[in-house]
Amino acid sequence: MEGKFVIIIAVALFFIALVQLMKIYDLAAKVRGNKSQEKVTRGENMLMANLMLVFMVAFFGFIIWLIFKYGANAGLYKAASEHGEKLDSLLMLNWYIILPVFFFTNSLLFIFSWRYYHREERKALYYPHNNKLELVWTILPAIALAIIIVFGIRTWNDIMYNKEKGQVVEVYAYQFGWLVRYAGVDNQLGEANYKLVSSTNPLGVITDKSINDTYEEIDKKVSNIDQDLKGNRNKNGDLLIPKSKADKKLEELERLKRRKYRIEAAIDKGETNSTAYSTSDDDVVVQELHLVKDQPYTFIFRSKDVIHCPWLPHFRAQINAVPGMETSFKLTPTITTKEMRMMPEVQEHYKNINEIHNERKRRIGEEEEKVLFDYVLLCNKICGAGHSNMQLKVIVETQEEFENWIENNGDKKRLTFSGQEVSWSETKEQASL
Amino acid sequence: MAHDTHHHHKESFFTKYIFSQDHKMIGKQYLLTAIFMGAIGITLSALFRMKLGWPDTQFSILESILGSDAAPDGMLDSNWYLGLVTLHGTIMVFFVLTGGLSGTFSNLLIPLQVGARDMASGLMNMIAYWLFFLSSVLMAASLFIETGPAMAGWTVYPPLSVLEEFQPGSGLGMTLWLLSMTVFIASSLLGGINYIVTILNLRTKGMSMTRLPLTIWAFFITAILGVLSFPVLLSAAVLLLMDRGFGTSFYMSDIVTSSGALDATGGSPILYEHLFWFLGHPEVYIILLPALGMTSEIISTCSRKPIFGYRAMIGSMLAIGFLSFIVWGHHMFLTGMNPFLGGVFTFTTLLIAIPSAVKAFNYITTIWKGNVIMTPAMLFCIGSVSTFISGGVTGIILADSALDISQHDTYFVVGHFHIVMGMTAILGMFAGIYHWFPKMYGKSMNKRMGMVHFWVTIVTGYGVFLPMHFLGEGGLPRRYYENTNFPMFDHFLDLNILISIFATIGVLSQLIFFFNFFYSIFRGPKASLNPWNANTLEWTTPLEHVHGNWIGEIPTVYRWPYDYSKPGKEKDFVPQTVPLDDNEEEH
Repeated sequence: MEGKFVIIIAVALFFIALVQLMKIYDLAAKVRGNKSQEKVTRGENMLMANLMLVFMVAFFGFIIWLIFKYGANAGLYKAASEHGEKLDSLLMLNWYIILPVFFFTNSLLFIFSWRYYHREERKALYYPHNNKLELVWTILPAIALAIIIVFGIRTWNDIMYNKEKGQVVEVYAYQFGWLVRYAGVDNQLGEANYKLVSSTNPLGVITDKSINDTYEEIDKKVSNIDQDLKGNRNKNGDLLIPKSKADKKLEELERLKRRKYRIEAAIDKGETNSTAYSTSDDDVVVQELHLVKDQPYTFIFRSKDVIHCPWLPHFRAQINAVPGMETSFKLTPTITTKEMRMMPEVQEHYKNINEIHNERKRRIGEEEEKVLFDYVLLCNKICGAGHSNMQLKVIVETQEEFENWIENNGDKKRLTFSGQEVSWSETKEQASL
Repeated sequence: MAHDTHHHHKESFFTKYIFSQDHKMIGKQYLLTAIFMGAIGITLSALFRMKLGWPDTQFSILESILGSDAAPDGMLDSNWYLGLVTLHGTIMVFFVLTGGLSGTFSNLLIPLQVGARDMASGLMNMIAYWLFFLSSVLMAASLFIETGPAMAGWTVYPPLSVLEEFQPGSGLGMTLWLLSMTVFIASSLLGGINYIVTILNLRTKGMSMTRLPLTIWAFFITAILGVLSFPVLLSAAVLLLMDRGFGTSFYMSDIVTSSGALDATGGSPILYEHLFWFLGHPEVYIILLPALGMTSEIISTCSRKPIFGYRAMIGSMLAIGFLSFIVWGHHMFLTGMNPFLGGVFTFTTLLIAIPSAVKAFNYITTIWKGNVIMTPAMLFCIGSVSTFISGGVTGIILADSALDISQHDTYFVVGHFHIVMGMTAILGMFAGIYHWFPKMYGKSMNKRMGMVHFWVTIVTGYGVFLPMHFLGEGGLPRRYYENTNFPMFDHFLDLNILISIFATIGVLSQLIFFFNFFYSIFRGPKASLNPWNANTLEWTTPLEHVHGNWIGEIPTVYRWPYDYSKPGKEKDFVPQTVPLDDNEEEH
């Protein structure tokens, strides 16, 4: 209430002040004999013209200050992937063309506005057209754009038509988090189907076990609803619960039956106990993304619910994760997390970040902490309330460190697909047989 | 049209002010509605900027404005944050800069500048306005429902916008959004067809297409773009409505919710994106072109100098209009579409920079060696050209599919389109209001307040949107409720405060405009007949609005509208109604 009151008072006061000012202004104008609001006086013209120049200086100054303070990459440092370096140099090429154009054209605009402000004794030049000039500023931008287009499309094709398969890793997006699935030793991801997604099989990976589990789950739900409906009938078979509630339950029943039928039709095909889905046997699901330095990767992205967009700013990589389709992106990390942390630029930057971070923590009464550099994967497509906190920790390390990690943590966080528990090293041995 | 005698009729209050079929009144109705919606739109932005600037502070003002559902204890709710962002975008893009801008100035200026008694169909024109009004009410109403307005961003991509389970705004709020937009599209189609027909058929004697003011050319091309692209958005909206209500799956496939897998199969959200952006990109030029048309007119008039390269200006607008239909894919480089298409769309998109460059240089050459009168309208035009340049150059980066990989959906995009589309169009709209206010209300606005309004607006506008480019270069994604979840963004804390301060001042300073506008309607000094010494036909009409525009015959046109400071002429302007002297070349 208080807030509302203060706002209303403030707005009212503001308007009263304006009305008074206007009255004074009108009176003053009358006294001076200048009643017209249409004619701009010489003094006003000159003032506005000079302000144009002042504004231009301030405007350019502001941009140059921003550039010096934040630099080209504003805290993302040097690209940590192979293609990222290409992108960064393409970006720099663009800046070198764009910035001079920006400064030059804006300067012309503001300087001309300042230089040619209205004076009674002057007359403007009648200069309606000049085809040569038009040609100049058609052809010059065309040349500059040709350079930009050629280099741009070449880089784009380089990145998108990369044939190298490398290690296959799947990142699965959901509201609001990520799961990572390594393809394992055979480097082939087991097939998945959204109809099999459940709490024990969050990625919907197809295995005999997951199919049977899903059937069991559905059957259980069906019998629950059946019993529920049965228990709520009297001797004549009339329902004791409201019709709308019963209808909902019946609808759910139908949906479950339909789902089972569709799983049978689409996935099972009577091939139970076959080896059709065995590529999933060595897959490992984890909640952190560990990558090996200089190892090429093919990322496969899927989404459970809405469109998400995995965005890896330090690697200059992103592509949408769209429900109903698979998207992919290839990248080769080139700098390990440790190496990144050792870079003087990063250390200096993180000294600063720690100060800001902990100053805020103190302010809001949370415990202080030491923040270290880490790669991240974040969501870059609006996806709901948790959009701004959909993070996945990304670590780039050596092959050894990776093996060590997946051996020790793969099991802990691992969700098995086939009946038996298989560790990373065991599957590796099996594969080499 | 035998309107000549109509102005003798005595009109009732209702037919004159409410259900008027007079284009001038309808134009003013559009403007008032747009100002009202604009006030809501910018207020929303000021509110969510508070959260972004001071993420840990509780603002009791938020709770008192938005209620305790949206901002419990003065902390903006994260769903509501997205709701405010969505409505801010929708309102500014569609209601202020499409309906408001085109609606106001096409209505006011087309009949007056081509020399017609009224629009081709006054009735259709009136219906168009009232549909616009209805859609505005529906959209504004969605702010007052418990579950909040649509929250899926102004592009309302499915599946997020389909199921209430994904976010509360996708329930009733989204339904209202779709209904409002459907009505809005109907309004904009009725309006657009009317504009096109009027320009083609009702030009006065001597007003050939190459003697039309550039404003009219801009409105003409804008209307064509709208008529060709809005139906596509309508179909997108209808399909979305069906996916939401009738169990179809145009946009949905393989979706799992907390209650299990959905039945929907075979559709694709990418289809929606294609349909949406097939309107969405021409929409950018539907917003921009009217503003650019008006700035052409005002810059020429206030520089006392013909617009440089009249034909080149028309040609570049036509080129921009045409190209705008084959570039929509640049919004979708990263949706997983075929990389080959990415290359194609990069090429077509970058082509737009050529006609845009031509326009920018033509503006500058018009000012060169001019005799520039710094009216508030002219100041806004200079600002508009500046933002057109500054925002245009960063567009070159975003048009590049490769660079889009590291810029897509970051604050770089937000900064870019707010400068090039938002600011250019808004500054152009202000310029139009200051310039044609005497024509609309027969009064003049206060010039000094106009000047102050301009300087505060341009400084705060750039102050808000320039730093955003650097946030984007730092990888900060847009539409984040808070940036504090990632320590890597902590060094942007102070920059976000700076942006929020500029935004707050910028929004508050618009009060100067609102005040000046409404004060001048009632208390402003009487305007003169042709206050800016302009050549176009609208300044030959009487100050008091009459139905049918001219009391006597419609004047005949003998020349183009840009004979300013023509050698051999006594005055520095020669209205279009003055016949050519013997041996005088037209231009």
